[in-house]
Amino acid sequence: MARFLRGRLRHGGVVLALWWPLLAAAAGAHVAEPAGYWMGPTRGPVATTVKGGKVIHTRELAALLKADDVMVVDVSDAPKRPDHMAAGAVWLPVPHPVIPGGVWIPGAGLGAIPPAIDKLFRERLAMGTHKDPTHELVIYCHESCWLSWNAAKRAISYGYKSVYWFPDGMEGWRGAGLPTVVAEPQVALPKL
Amino acid sequence: MGVTRTLLLALVMSTVAALGHAPVANADDSEAAMKAHAAQDEAERAARWKDLRHEIFGARSLGDGAGVIQIAAPEHALDAALVPVTLTMKAAQPIKGVYLVIDNNPAPLASHFTFGPRADPRILKLRVRVNMYTYMHAVAETADGKLFVAQQFIKTSGGCSAPVGSDDAAAMKDMGLMKLHILGNFAAGKPVQAQLMIRHPNFNGMQMDQITRTFTPPRFIRSIDASYDGEAVFHLDSDISLSTDPVITFGFVPDKKGTMQLVVRDSKDVSFNHSFDVPAA
Repeated sequence: MARFLRGRLRHGGVVLALWWPLLAAAAGAHVAEPAGYWMGPTRGPVATTVKGGKVIHTRELAALLKADDVMVVDVSDAPKRPDHMAAGAVWLPVPHPVIPGGVWIPGAGLGAIPPAIDKLFRERLAMGTHKDPTHELVIYCHESCWLSWNAAKRAISYGYKSVYWFPDGMEGWRGAGLPTVVAEPQVALPKL
Repeated sequence: MGVTRTLLLALVMSTVAALGHAPVANADDSEAAMKAHAAQDEAERAARWKDLRHEIFGARSLGDGAGVIQIAAPEHALDAALVPVTLTMKAAQPIKGVYLVIDNNPAPLASHFTFGPRADPRILKLRVRVNMYTYMHAVAETADGKLFVAQQFIKTSGGCSAPVGSDDAAAMKDMGLMKLHILGNFAAGKPVQAQLMIRHPNFNGMQMDQITRTFTPPRFIRSIDASYDGEAVFHLDSDISLSTDPVITFGFVPDKKGTMQLVVRDSKDVSFNHSFDVPAA
């Protein structure tokens, strides 16, 4: 446990130095769970709970993924090439790492979700859980990022009973030295 | 090509991961895993730069920038949307241009300056958005066509989606307004620095309007031309990595009292023109 804590603290120290919003959190500011979806800036101090779901941290998540058949969903933003860039401008987003087996669904954590993404999210969850509402689901994005909180809340609202919110996000996962694979965003359902 | 690169990177990532993290359950207790993680990160970053330099400079060789170009930026920038970068150049050959590459930004070539006859190409300062932990590479091109590179690692993230202000209307207000400050004393024939401030939201399309909750359409500065009494000081090609309300410090050599003319063009093909007396009247 002591070693585990040391690792966590070291990681936390780096985070505090980098993320000014977290300075507020360190000073004792707690963000209460909003009644609805979070509509503020996506990056910043987050809630510590999600009603109807469970919060899971890195070590427990690594163990859970080894033990069970769990659907893992990453709801990080995907960069979009803006219109009117110069003809020869270089557009080369970094390959997107996900937790192995994870499905990347950008937009599923927006406070106000476009209908097309809502439909895709529902369908993709149904497929990944074999339409079993008790199937375990893990939802994440980055640390200090509300997108995953919103998406977890949304999945709970769809009727899923075993939703885990992983607030440590990709930074927490990689910070613990855990493996990743490169994924493409889900823009439409894969053909069966 | 993109697919090949992605696959290669995936291979590197998964190979390093497989080597370093076989016992997953113990991974976050293990110093070895942390080291392997750092090695994986460095391998990815090196692969990324290899891709980018090929994309931007093709097969041209890049020499060590020591003694030619230096890059300085805070390692832990407080605001990822406003990271100050200082580039310092010094070379036996005249400097023809400078590239600033923010490796892990989706549009990595943040700026390309080309200097004109009135430039003092020894210093450039600007402010940029940084999307995630990244190396920045500064590349100087000398008049004989050689390239020299310096790098720095930056630990900050979230700059792309960081909001521009309380609302878009406020951010668009006075768009195109400019100020020019001459830093230090003007003396004809002596190099002097100037700080150019431009009001422009430089929307990149990934920011959300805090009131309407929709993504603000992109609108960003694509080029800036500075000339002194009709002679070029610099031309800058830029895009979405430049911060909102850009501030650019540059050097020039005024042969006499004159006029600095600025032409800023944005992605909507709107031009903003301003002229400033030097020294200020």
